[in-house]
Amino acid sequence: MQRELLEQIERGETVLEARGITKTFPGVLANDGIDFAIKAGEIHAILGENGAGKTTLMNILFGLYQPDEGQILIGGQPVQFRSPLDAIDLGIGMVHQNRKLVLAHTVIENIILGHPNAGTIMNLRRTGAEIEELCQRYGFSLDLKAKVWQLSEGEKQVVEILKALYRGAKVLILDEPTSALAPPETKKLLGSIEAMARDELAIVPFITHKLPIVLGISDRVTVLRNGRVTARLRTADVTEKSLAKEMVGREVIFRLERARVEAGAPVLRVENLNARSDKGFLALKDISFSVREGEIFGIAGISGNGQQELAEILAGLRKVEGGQVLFDESDITSSTALKRWHMGMGYIPSERVAVGSIGDFSLTENVAMNYYFDRDFCRRGLVDYGKLRRLTEELISEYDVAAPGHETKAKNLSGGNLQKLILARVLSRKPRLIIANLPTQGLDVGATEFVRNKLMEAKKEKAGILLISEDLDEVLSLSDRVAPIYEGEFMDIIPGDEVQRESVGAMMAGSRPEELQT
Amino acid sequence: MTIGSYSVRLEKRTLLRSWEAALISILAIVLALVLFSLIFILAGINPLVAYQEIFSYAFANRFGLPLVINRFIFLLLCTSAFIIPYRAGLWNIGMTGQLYMGSLGAFGVLMALGGKESISAELNPFVLIPLMLVAAAIGGAVIGAIAGVLKGRFNINEIVVTMILNFIAYWLVAYMIKEGGAFMNPGGRGESFELPPSVYAPLLGDIPFTIFLALGLALLLYFVFAKTRLGYEIKAHGHSPAAARYSGISPLGISFLTFALGGAIAGLAGYHYFAAVPGVYKIARNYGYFGDLAFYGIICGLISQGNPLAAIPITLLFGGLSVGGRFVQGKLHMSFGVDYALLGVLMISLVAFQFFYRYRIIWTKIAKESPDVGVSG
Repeated sequence: MQRELLEQIERGETVLEARGITKTFPGVLANDGIDFAIKAGEIHAILGENGAGKTTLMNILFGLYQPDEGQILIGGQPVQFRSPLDAIDLGIGMVHQNRKLVLAHTVIENIILGHPNAGTIMNLRRTGAEIEELCQRYGFSLDLKAKVWQLSEGEKQVVEILKALYRGAKVLILDEPTSALAPPETKKLLGSIEAMARDELAIVPFITHKLPIVLGISDRVTVLRNGRVTARLRTADVTEKSLAKEMVGREVIFRLERARVEAGAPVLRVENLNARSDKGFLALKDISFSVREGEIFGIAGISGNGQQELAEILAGLRKVEGGQVLFDESDITSSTALKRWHMGMGYIPSERVAVGSIGDFSLTENVAMNYYFDRDFCRRGLVDYGKLRRLTEELISEYDVAAPGHETKAKNLSGGNLQKLILARVLSRKPRLIIANLPTQGLDVGATEFVRNKLMEAKKEKAGILLISEDLDEVLSLSDRVAPIYEGEFMDIIPGDEVQRESVGAMMAGSRPEELQT
Repeated sequence: MTIGSYSVRLEKRTLLRSWEAALISILAIVLALVLFSLIFILAGINPLVAYQEIFSYAFANRFGLPLVINRFIFLLLCTSAFIIPYRAGLWNIGMTGQLYMGSLGAFGVLMALGGKESISAELNPFVLIPLMLVAAAIGGAVIGAIAGVLKGRFNINEIVVTMILNFIAYWLVAYMIKEGGAFMNPGGRGESFELPPSVYAPLLGDIPFTIFLALGLALLLYFVFAKTRLGYEIKAHGHSPAAARYSGISPLGISFLTFALGGAIAGLAGYHYFAAVPGVYKIARNYGYFGDLAFYGIICGLISQGNPLAAIPITLLFGGLSVGGRFVQGKLHMSFGVDYALLGVLMISLVAFQFFYRYRIIWTKIAKESPDVGVSG
C-alpha cells in the first residue's frame, strides 16, 4: 500500500521525513528532537562530528533502532520500522561503511541475496541483464561474476549501492561514501550519485569530515551537533569554513601553516625493503626512502597498498623479506619492538582500539603501555603507578582528553579522545621518530585539527615524522615530501613545494609519473 | 518489566567494587546450599542437620579439619597455577600433569640422594627438603613450559597441549612406580617407595609447612599483578595480545613464563600431597584421584576471577565442602557422590551469579497514574 504511494512521488516532493526523532541511551541523549525532510531527486547531506548522533539517526531511519519519540513519514504517511526489512520494503536503501557482503560469493550473488524475487530457482541471466542495465545507467563498471573478496573498497561500495537499487530503493543512505576511495574513484562515484539523483532518487550521504565532498555534490545540508540539528542550509549558501563552524561550534583553521624547519640528518633510512602480507603476497616491493629530523614524510595511498605492512615493520611487529631498516644509521632490521621504543621511536597505530589501547585498562594503565619499561617509571621491576597517575592527569589536561578521570576505562572514550590519549602517550616520550599511521582517520574536524597541530609541533621539536594517510589533503598540507604508494611501490617521491594534487591523486590510483607527463 | 507497582530493569555495571563482588559470591553460596537441601529432603534428611554435620566435621573436628586444610593447600596451589596463565589470557588445564611431574621431580631427588635405599636413612632435611621443593617446581615448570612455548612460538592451542600432557604425565608416573619402575615400592603394591621419616616435612600441629608456601605464593602473586612490571606485562597480554605486542611485550616470553611459573606452582602441589601430608609420604596408588582434584583449581580460579587473594576463601570452602560432603554421605548413609554433587551445584550457582558482576537489577516504584499527566511534546 505504502509502497504504491512511494511510486507516485514526483521530483521535488518530500519522500522521507523525520519529525522530532528522540533517542536516549543510558546516560546519553543521542538524538534530540531531530527534524528533516528529504525530497525526491535531492542530494541531502547529513553532517556531524563523531558523537553528534549521526549513527543513531541512520540506524533509526533504517529500522535498526526504534525512536523513543518522534515519527518517520514516507510520502506523507507515518510509518513504523520494526526491522530493516520494513525499511527496505518501503524503499530505504542503506550503504554501510563496514560493508555487509559475503566475501566468498560473486557480485551478482551478493546483489540478489535476500531479494524477494530471487525465489528458489535463480534466473541469473535475467537478473544479470537487469543489473547490467543499472550499471550502464549510472556509470558503474563492475564484473558481476567476480568474487567480492577480489574487489577494491570502492567496488564493494558499488555492490552495496547496486544491491539497494535492485531492491527498488527510493532513498539511498550512504555512510561516509568516500572514506576509502582514491581521488579518481571518488570522482566517479560522485558522477554516479548525480545520475541517480537525476532519476528522482533521494540521496542521503552521512559525512563526518570530508567537507569538500558535501560542497561538491549536495543540494542541501543538515548539520547535527550533540544530537540536535544546528543548521539547515542550502549548499549554495555555505563555504567549507562556515560548515565546519556549524559542525564544531567554533572557528576551525583548515590550512595548517607548514612550519619551516631546517631538516637535519636522516633519523630513519629504509633500503630496498621487501615484505609479505599476512596472505603471503609481496606487499612491499623494493622500497627505499629516508626521514630526516624535523621533516614530515608523507605516504599517500588508499589502505591496502602496503602501508600497514610498512608501519608494522618499522615498529618491529613484522618480519622483513629483504632489505634494511636503519635508525640513526644503526641497523634495526631485526630489533624487537621494545628496543625501538627504548631507542626513541614512537608508533601511533591505525587500529586504535585493537592495538593502540586496551579497553579494559584504566587510562593510567593505558598510558603505562609506553612507559612500563621506562627507567623513570619502573625501578627494580616495580611500576611506579603513582607517578604514572600524575603523568596521566597531566596528559589528560594538556591534550584535552574528555574523560571523567584517570580511572576511566579506555573503552569508554570516544574515538577522538582515545586517539588524543594515544597521541599524548607517544608524543610525551619525545620520540626522535614518529610513525603516524592514519592518525586522523575517522576523527571529526575538531580532533583532526588537534592531531595535525600536535604533529606539527613535534616536527618543530626536530622529530622525524612518517605520516601514512588516505586523506590526500592531509598529506599535502602537512608533508615536506610526499610519496604516493600503490601496490607496495612508491610511484614517486615529490618535494612538498612541487606537489600537484591531481598528479598525486592519479599516482595513488596506480599511474606512473612518466605516464602523467605525456 | 513490571512486578506489582514496581518496574524492574537490568542495568550494565560500569564499576564493580570488591565488597559487591564478595557479597555476590556469598549470596551464590547461600543459594547453592538452599538448592542442595532439596537433595537432603528427598533423601529424608533434615538439611539443617546435614549442613551442621558437614561444617562441623570440616571446620571443627580434629579429624576433619586437617583433611580440609591439606586439601585447601593443594587446591590453593593448583588455583594459583591456573591463575598465572589465566591473567595472561591463557588456559592452563594441565595442573594435573604438572603436579605429577613435580612429585616425580621430588622423589627423583630423594632417590638420587639415597632416600630409596632404606626407610630409616638419616638424611639432612635442611638440604633435602629445599632440594625436593626445587625439583618439584622444576618438574612442573618444564612440562608447563612445553605448552607455553608451543603456544607462544607456533600458536598451538594450549588447552589441547596441556590436556595431552596430563595423560603423558599420568602414564609416566605409572611407569615409574609400578612393578619394575625406578620408584617402585619394595613391597610392590603399585605405589612409590616411602619417604624416610628424617625428611618428613615439618609440621605445625597436624598441618605441614606447605600452608605458608601456598598462602605466601597467593600474596606474592597478588603483589606481582598489582605492582610489578611483570604483572603489568602479563595483564596487558591477557587483555589484548596485539596491544601488548605493540607495547614491546613478547608474546612468546609471556606465554613461556606464565606456563613455566604456573607449572612450577602446580609441581609444589605435587610435593605437598605426596611428601608433606602426614600419613601419605609416597606417590600413592590412587594418585589419579589427586590429579582429578587438581581440576578444581580451574573452577576456583574462574570463580575468583583471577584474583589470588579471593582464591583463598574459595579454595577453603571447596576443600571443606568436598571433605564434609564425603563425610555426611557415609554418616547419613546417602548414596555415592554427595560431595561431587554439592560442589557441582555450588559451581553452577557461582557461575550463574557472575551475571550480577556485569548487570544489576534496578527496582523503581511506579508512580500512581494521574489523569493530568499527558504525553509531552
